[in-house]
This record gives sequence, structure tokens and C-alpha cells, in this order.
Amino acid sequence: MVAQGIPEIGAYIGFLFVSTVALIIVLKLLITPRDPRPTPEKKKPFESGQIAVGPGRTRFIIQYYPYLLMFVVYDVIAMFLFAWGLNLRSLGEAGSLPVLVFIVVLLIPLGYALHLANHRENW
Amino acid sequence: MLGPLQPLIDMVTSPLFLMIVLFPGLTSIAIIGALLGWLERKVTARVQLRIGPLYASPAGGILQMFADLIKLSFKELFVPENSDAFFFIMAPTTGLVIGAALVGLIPFAPGLQIANIEVGLPAFLAIITLSPSLVLLAGWSANSKFPFIGGLRALFQQTAYEIPLWLSALGVIMMAGTLNLAQIVAAQSTGWFIIPQALGAFIFLVTSVAEMERLPFDLPEAESEIMMGWQAEYPGVLFLAAQGPGFVKLYAFSALFTTIYLGGFLGPSLLPPLFWMLSKTLVVIILIMLLRSTFPRVRLDQLLRAGWTTLLTLAIVNIGITYLLVVGLPTF
Repeated sequence: MVAQGIPEIGAYIGFLFVSTVALIIVLKLLITPRDPRPTPEKKKPFESGQIAVGPGRTRFIIQYYPYLLMFVVYDVIAMFLFAWGLNLRSLGEAGSLPVLVFIVVLLIPLGYALHLANHRENW
Repeated sequence: MLGPLQPLIDMVTSPLFLMIVLFPGLTSIAIIGALLGWLERKVTARVQLRIGPLYASPAGGILQMFADLIKLSFKELFVPENSDAFFFIMAPTTGLVIGAALVGLIPFAPGLQIANIEVGLPAFLAIITLSPSLVLLAGWSANSKFPFIGGLRALFQQTAYEIPLWLSALGVIMMAGTLNLAQIVAAQSTGWFIIPQALGAFIFLVTSVAEMERLPFDLPEAESEIMMGWQAEYPGVLFLAAQGPGFVKLYAFSALFTTIYLGGFLGPSLLPPLFWMLSKTLVVIILIMLLRSTFPRVRLDQLLRAGWTTLLTLAIVNIGITYLLVVGLPTF
């Protein structure tokens, strides 16, 4: 193993580095300036100089929602293909045929879902 | 005399501890992340006919990011009103952990790998899947409009690239017949996978740039549209913690691309394997940085449409090509 070739001094350098970082964090907590009485303007969310109006958590963008629904279905299906791809050599042609049929069958609803999702006037 | 301390010293000097703390672990991740920040600013500056960081050290401002780190560390930590302080601070710091966990899965040389697990490649992609959720959490917790829009963009963007990313990695798994990253490297001793998997490598590169939220696809933090998006409210060192995972992910993804497509640490035995691994990774990193300074930002609907139609179709075509390469022409 290459790591065993690292001399023992390396351990102390690494230990020194980690403890230096820890020391900096502690020093930082002591040194960091604190504002005891922030003004109301300072506490407001930053909107490039405009005065923030209304709640910060605004309405949801609904127009791309069908992509989220498709993602929930097809991401899981991509996982199932990993089990097939891993054993492809041992499965051979006979074992792969059901998976290929599975892919083709799933592509048909995917095409229809994309047709609906890409036309945003539907949403 | 060292009796009670002997177990501690044994632990500190054990190879696994050295790998976790020194290389490829935390120390090297922090230093490489900072150097990549400098390199990115320098490469972008050269492309745009500027000079870039210059004064922070004699060697062309190479210490610029360390100077930024010191400056940002001593700024006030301020949490805006009505924000969820716990999640506001937790999201970027957890992002750092995720970036470091990715590097731990990469084999940098024979044996120089923190976690040599059987499911290395899916584990890498599964860990990186958490990061858009953290971006959404960060954007939601800030209670501000632009961060919230940025977080939602990260969520929608994930649906566009995630499936092509996994399916392009499936091509490599079909070629190698294993999920273990060290064994994938060993399977490339007869030839790098980028030649049979050229299409898959292209899809993997594009989708990983989208995963890293780098410039052609940096919608969640588009600074000219939504003023840094989900990072807008972060002060001082939390801003650094929000920026840092980007560079660590760049390092980890370039190392993964090298591992699964460019033969990893394999190379002529004139030089050690670690040299080949790091030099190939650096080439991939600079390629991704040049993409950043070359292409304009896409819109969210363009990215969703391209991911779900073009990239997904190409990924399925790539699986078909790989099937023909591995199994051969169908006889039925």
C-alpha cells in the first residue's frame, strides 16, 4: 500500500493541520464582530437595494411540475437497469431480451409524457 | 511512559487515518479546493484577456483563496430575520461533508483509497444526489425571494440531468461488469473506456457540469439573474462554506471521470500511478473550466427540455451501442 510509505511525520503534520483549523474556528468565534442592536433594515432580506415586500417563501413554480412527476417514475426505473447492466455478460442475449422489451415499453409513455410536459400551454 | 497513549499513537499513525487526514482526505481536499478556486479565476481571466489574481503571493496570486478565507472568516455572521437559523447554517456545512465524502470513494493509486466499497460508482452518484436537496433547504430557510427561486431551480434542474447521468454511468458498468471503482480501473488495462463509451463520456461530462451547477447550467446561483440565488443571504464564512463544495465537487467529479473513462491511475510505469491520476484529473478540470468561460447560461426550460429529450435519448442510444459491443448483434 502506498499509504504505508507515508512517513510518521505526516501524521503529525495532518494532526497539526486539523488542530490549527480547530484553533482558528475557536479564535474566530472570539474575534468575529457582533452587532448588538441591528437596525430593521439590516435584518431585512437582501433584494439588491429594493425594499423587500411580502413573504420570502413565495408561490411555487407549477409550470415544470410534470417533469417532477416523470422524475419520480423514471429515476426508479433507471435504478432497475443497473442490476441488469451489472450482470450483462452472464445474462447474455436470452436474459437481456425481457429488459430490452421493458425499456421499449417504458419509452412509449415517456414520449407521451414529454409531449404533454413540453407543451406548457397544458399547464 | 507512552503506555496509556500508545493506542492513540497507533491510531494516528495507521494508514487509514493518514489517508483520511492527509491524502486523499481532508487536508488535501481543503488545499486542492482553495487552489482550484485560484485556478478557476486565473483560467477565466486568461480566456477573457484579463490577468486575474496577482498580488496575494509572489507566484501569481496563488494564495488568493487563502487570503479570501482569512478575510471572510473574520466577518460578522448574520442570520436574516424570520429565517430558519438551524437549516440556514446546516445546509452549506453539510455540503462540505458531502463533497469530502465523494473524494473518499475515488481510487487515486492502488491501495490509496479511503473507502474501497463494492458499490463505489452508484454510491458516488447517490451521495451527490443529496446536494440539490441541500440547495433547496438553504434557499427555503433564508426566507428571501431570490434564494427560494434558486433552490427551486436546483430541484427542477436535478430532474433534468439525474437520469442521463445515471444511464451514462450504466454504460461503463455494462462494459466493466462491476460497480467497484478500483475494479473498473483494472478493467481498463486493455483500453480506456472513453473510446467505446465516447457518447457516454460526453453525456456524463455535460450532466456532471449540470450536477456541479457550473456555468452553462448554474441556474440555482445565476448571479446576473437572481444575484447568486441560494447563496444570496450567506454572510462571511458561511458564504465560503456555500462556495467551497462547488470546488470540491469539481475535483471529485473530475477524478471520477478520470477513473471511469480515462483509465484512472493507469499509465506508463515511468512515473508513479498517482502522477497519472492527478494529471488526468487536472486536464478534465481545466476542460470544465474552459466550458464555463466559453458557453452562455441556458434557460431553465431549455435545460429541462434538453435533458429529458436530447440527453435521455442519447443515453439510451449509448446503452444500445454498449449492448451491441458487449453481447453482440442480436440473433433473434
